[in-house]
Amino acid sequence: MIARTPYAQMLGIESMAAEPGMVALRMPATAQLEGRPGFLYGGVIASLLELACLDAIAQDRGDAAGRPKPINMSFDFLRGGLMIDSFAEARLSRVGRRIVHADAICWQADRNRPMATGRMHLLLGG
Amino acid sequence: MEEDEDPFERLKHLPPRGHHALLGIYTVDRGSDWAELACPFAPGFLMDPEAGLVASGPIVSLIDAAAGAAIIARTRQWRPMATLDLHVDYLRPARAGQALHARATCHHVTHKVAFIRCDVHDGDAASRIAFATARFFFTGTS
Repeated sequence: MIARTPYAQMLGIESMAAEPGMVALRMPATAQLEGRPGFLYGGVIASLLELACLDAIAQDRGDAAGRPKPINMSFDFLRGGLMIDSFAEARLSRVGRRIVHADAICWQADRNRPMATGRMHLLLGG
Repeated sequence: MEEDEDPFERLKHLPPRGHHALLGIYTVDRGSDWAELACPFAPGFLMDPEAGLVASGPIVSLIDAAAGAAIIARTRQWRPMATLDLHVDYLRPARAGQALHARATCHHVTHKVAFIRCDVHDGDAASRIAFATARFFFTGTS
C-alpha cells in the first residue's frame, strides 16, 4: 500500500511478494535517484528503508495503525549503492500500545550483503 | 581545479543533476562551517494527499545534501566522501506546500571522518521539523 503513495511513486518504488510476516519493496535505479556519479543517492536509500518500515506497519496493523508518526530513525550505510535494482525489507521487532520499533535492511544483487540498514521508532494513533 | 577556486562556489554552481535535480535542491547561504540548502514543495513529497501528510524521505535527502555541503564549506576541499550513518529526530510534521530548509554544521573533522549536525524547518527557523546528526567518511586514499 505504501507503493501507491505519491512519494513512493516519485521514487519508482514497487511492492513485491515476500515471505509471510515480511514485506519487501523494489526500487529500480534511474538517473533521478543518482548521487555522486555511478552511485545511488544516500537519502534515497534511507527513504527506501523508511518506506519499508511504514509498509510493515501498514501490513501488520491495517487501518488500526491510523497514521503512524515517525519519532526517529537511524540509518547505517554499509556499502555504496550501485545503479541497479535495490530491495528493502522490514520487520516489526516490537509492537506496543503506542510505540512500534521496526528494523529494515536494504540490499542489491545479494541479500546476504546488505547495502544499508535502518531502525525506526513510530508512534501509533493520531 | 584552480588553486584560488572556492570549492563551495563550485558546488553551488554545478548544474542540477540526479536526485538533487529531482527534488529541486538549491543553496540558500553558507558560513565557515555550515551550509543551508532548501527545496521547494512538490506534490510528489506527499504520503497522503487528502491528509496533506508529507513524507520524511525528502527531509532525509535534503539533510544528506546539506551535510555534504557543510563539509565542503568547512574543509574548503573537494574530497570524495560517503555517508557513514545518519540519525534523524522528527520533531513535528512538515506542512504540505511549504519549502524545506536544512541548515547543517560540520562541527568536527578528523583525517577520515566528518561530524555533522543539522536543523530542518519548513519556513520558520524557530519551529524545527527535524534535527539530525550524521557522520561522513572521506573515501579517497589521501
